[in-house]
Amino acid sequence: MFFHIVLERNMQLHPRFFGRNLRENLVSKLMKDVEGTCSGRHGFVVAITGIESIGKGLIRDGTGFVTFPVKYQCVVFRPFKGEILEAVVTLVNKMGFFAEAGPVQIFVSKHLIPDDMEFQAGDMPNYTTSDGSVKIQKECEVRLKIIGTRVDATEIFCVGTIKDDFLGVINDPAAA
Amino acid sequence: MEKSSPVQKTVVLQPFVKLVRLVARAFYDDYTTKSDNQQKSAKSDNRGIAAVVLDALTRRQWVREEDLAKDLQLHAKQLRKIIRLFEEQKLIMRDHRKETAKGVKMYSAAVAATTDGRAEDKVKLHTHSYCCLDYAQISDVVRCKLHRMKKKLKDELEDKNTVQEYGCPNCQRKYNALDALRLISMEDDSFHCENCNSELVVECNKLTSEEVVDGDDNGRRRRREKLKDMLQRLEAQMKPLMDQLDRVKDLPIPEFGSFLAWEARAAMAARANGDLNPNDPLRSQGGYGSTPMPFLGETKVEVNLGDGNEDVKSKGGDSSLKVLPPWMIKQGMNLTEEQRGEMRQVAKVDGGSGGAAKLSDDKKSVIGNGDEKDLKDEYLKAYYAELLKQQELAARLNQQEYEIQLATTSPGRQVAKKAKREEEDVEWEEEAPVAANGNYKVDLNVEAEASGGEEDDIDWEEG
Ligand SMILES: [Zn+2]
Repeated sequence: MFFHIVLERNMQLHPRFFGRNLRENLVSKLMKDVEGTCSGRHGFVVAITGIESIGKGLIRDGTGFVTFPVKYQCVVFRPFKGEILEAVVTLVNKMGFFAEAGPVQIFVSKHLIPDDMEFQAGDMPNYTTSDGSVKIQKECEVRLKIIGTRVDATEIFCVGTIKDDFLGVINDPAAA
Repeated sequence: MEKSSPVQKTVVLQPFVKLVRLVARAFYDDYTTKSDNQQKSAKSDNRGIAAVVLDALTRRQWVREEDLAKDLQLHAKQLRKIIRLFEEQKLIMRDHRKETAKGVKMYSAAVAATTDGRAEDKVKLHTHSYCCLDYAQISDVVRCKLHRMKKKLKDELEDKNTVQEYGCPNCQRKYNALDALRLISMEDDSFHCENCNSELVVECNKLTSEEVVDGDDNGRRRRREKLKDMLQRLEAQMKPLMDQLDRVKDLPIPEFGSFLAWEARAAMAARANGDLNPNDPLRSQGGYGSTPMPFLGETKVEVNLGDGNEDVKSKGGDSSLKVLPPWMIKQGMNLTEEQRGEMRQVAKVDGGSGGAAKLSDDKKSVIGNGDEKDLKDEYLKAYYAELLKQQELAARLNQQEYEIQLATTSPGRQVAKKAKREEEDVEWEEEAPVAANGNYKVDLNVEAEASGGEEDDIDWEEG
């Protein structure tokens, strides 16, 4: 799920950035530092959408670096148990398959793939129905449901299922 | 109060009433307002109370919760607790209104028009709550509930939504699918033990393919049996409810609208009844619907014709109302001719008690004495048309700003507008004869209704 929230961060800035472009420098550094990172609490920071406030800088003794407390608005992506996501298959093996929904990695184990889909080893390992009408392989787009998440301080990993109504392959670029 | 007009019961409502009764007994049978430790003696055991309340609600449309409590001889607090439960469960709609003398009158009139009972007249003027069954939502909610119950059991039976476990055959370490990212090996795309790097195997917890029997597995098997049994019992016990849901699925759903809309419509219908000579036998035989019909059908009329201009609307409304009687009769297959007559009889009385009794008497003196049926027929036809127009206009006025109305009025309505200004002086009795001649009066009434606002129903009372 996506959220638009306000986060705070203390930014350390080298004195060479001081000057009339200080604010711009601060913001671009913030973007570089924060966008694309993941925190277990808030999820993945997708994009910074605005700066709320920049507090007074504090010069650190002995270094000349200055710390600015910056409040910024950003879009975060945080997967939840029970959430339905669309993801791209990245790897297929006999244990199941891995998929990515943006920055999130999801693993779907074999027992959560419909029973009528069999694993086919080879150059392009895949799961295929007996009549060959549906095939899950690398680059496939699937709709899946998250049934479990592992949230670490800097990482979120999900386990999903496609064994439910309206889940499964939604688009196969290889077949098209 | 206990009995409501037969139309609601027999025509469209009945299958839905049955549904509600089944729901009450299936899900709320052992609901009690007492907490568990309070329940000591059998005397204080009020299980089944929820079913009683739901049943009572099926015999009403919108009802003031205080009145309901009185009818059921329940403490108001107790009832409120149950009502709140049903609100949470999305079975009923609720509305709260800071009561005014006008509101009380409106409500009384509406109750009188829709049931053959009367609302309590002496009501303290503070905030009151009203509630009404939401049949549309009930059928959806119950369907969803049953679906979720079944799904939950089935999912558990089929081991869905469980995180796959893996074990190392070498060092017996256990992993699960959430570790997958760490276990995947780049060499052969399979999972390897972090400890000894041997290939992991799937821990089989599919109970059906279980061969090894140890204590843990026995527990699992018992659990599975229990789940299976639960699912079977669910299917069996919910069968009547599911059948009723299927039956109700394609039927048009009785809707009473929001509280204010319901009240306005009821008042309008009461007036319509009063306007027409209620003793006219022609009316009882005519295809035109009975009092409560507007409560059941009008929403549809508005939806269909929302975009049309006024003339089109009134015409459309006209025809749709004419089409309606077969639609209603189709529902109430056991509705006999006498029943319908009976019901109108009731409606007539209601119209009177709704505050329009004098009006109807006046009307009677105008048309009731005429012997020629043709004249009556024609009069009635014209009158129905105007009434329909009036109803629709009034309904629209309820929703729209008066200003907007004025902005879009045709020149014809300007006359009415002017008349509205003199409204205070115009007595209903004076208007009545005019009405017999043409439609001028009806327009005037509509405007008066919209602009009159507060004094509106008091005017009616006086009339
Ligand atoms: Zn091992």
